[in-house]
Amino acid sequence: MAAHAQTQEAFFEARKIYMPQSTDGLGSTMVLGPDTKLGLIRDTSIQPFGSREEVFEIPVPAEGGEVSVHVDLSYQPRPGDVIPVHSVVRKVALR
Amino acid sequence: MADRGFTKAGRSGAVFFLVLAILPWIAHGGTIHPPEIHSLSGLIERFDSSGCRECHEAIYRQWESSHHARPLMGLNDWIFLSKYLKEGALAVRSAREATRANFPCAKCHLPQLSLATDEAVKELAAAILKDDKETVRKLGITCLVCHQEKANVHHRPETDALYGSRELRDHGGKYSTVRQSPVMKDPVFCGQCHGQGPNLDTFPPVQCATLYGSYLHAYIPAGGTQTCQDCHMPHKDHSVRPNFNDRDETSARLAAALPMEVQVLAYTFHPAENVKTPMIVVRTRITSKAGHRVPDG
Repeated sequence: MAAHAQTQEAFFEARKIYMPQSTDGLGSTMVLGPDTKLGLIRDTSIQPFGSREEVFEIPVPAEGGEVSVHVDLSYQPRPGDVIPVHSVVRKVALR
Repeated sequence: MADRGFTKAGRSGAVFFLVLAILPWIAHGGTIHPPEIHSLSGLIERFDSSGCRECHEAIYRQWESSHHARPLMGLNDWIFLSKYLKEGALAVRSAREATRANFPCAKCHLPQLSLATDEAVKELAAAILKDDKETVRKLGITCLVCHQEKANVHHRPETDALYGSRELRDHGGKYSTVRQSPVMKDPVFCGQCHGQGPNLDTFPPVQCATLYGSYLHAYIPAGGTQTCQDCHMPHKDHSVRPNFNDRDETSARLAAALPMEVQVLAYTFHPAENVKTPMIVVRTRITSKAGHRVPDG
């Protein structure tokens, strides 16, 4: 998620990652790869009938003006391989 | 008395023998089933299902477009097993060292490998290490894997029959008999391969897919009633979407399964005298319509 000023410069960026997270059963460090994963230590993936809600509070720069907010959801099966899912742009301005 | 003593010793000997016989029976999942295919070409030939195409053209073409037709080829046509054969707990210094123990992934990615000897496995390892895509592409979850090898979870399927959703006495071709698989329409059929979490029956253990486990322990308890087949094989569509190589289709499917709402508020927060903070509040909500966690893994 990013917020851009009228100059198109991003003044705020935030990212949330949704995925099941596993260790190798030998410690608390998350591991990657089917040859090392065992069980789950945390699961932020989106569950059946469930939802994930996020709230971002973004202070606006002093110059104000119109701000465009970009919210993108993407699926990344492998590093660098990004499949876009949703892309939403909203423009807002303080009155 | 001597006769009774002999009988006792004979009976003990008979019991001991039976225990020995049962142990390998248990180890092979309920039936004596030693590996019997000694070459990679033999394995490819045994499960070659191209003959099904003549009468089942539409289904065969659907299957060809699915990941079941290319289970050893990762996204965008690369042999993903080469990474694990070259480094990590499953690695070998050369193909000659490879055994079935180096292929726990085959439990789901190539179930028919359980019928192959280590001799055939070494050939597979060689093909993978040489990046021989032409050969590796020939190994798939073919018709004979689902409609024979994995068709029944309660006992070993017969190898001279096919299995389907209904019985057929005169199928024709190489397999004249089609028996009804009692589980083919049940999610457990898919669950044989599509993962419950850690596979602790191999050394080292592996964990890849968790879809079926999520379906069982999250979707069903939450009141879900649809089967894997309902969503992923509507009208017996053997393309079994998603096809992750079709990025546009994958994107659309994920968008439908995970609708997202975005609400944006711009205002000035004024919690106390002389404290004013112009801010934007962005609220996102992603809801799942899927029958399992997304993403999986």
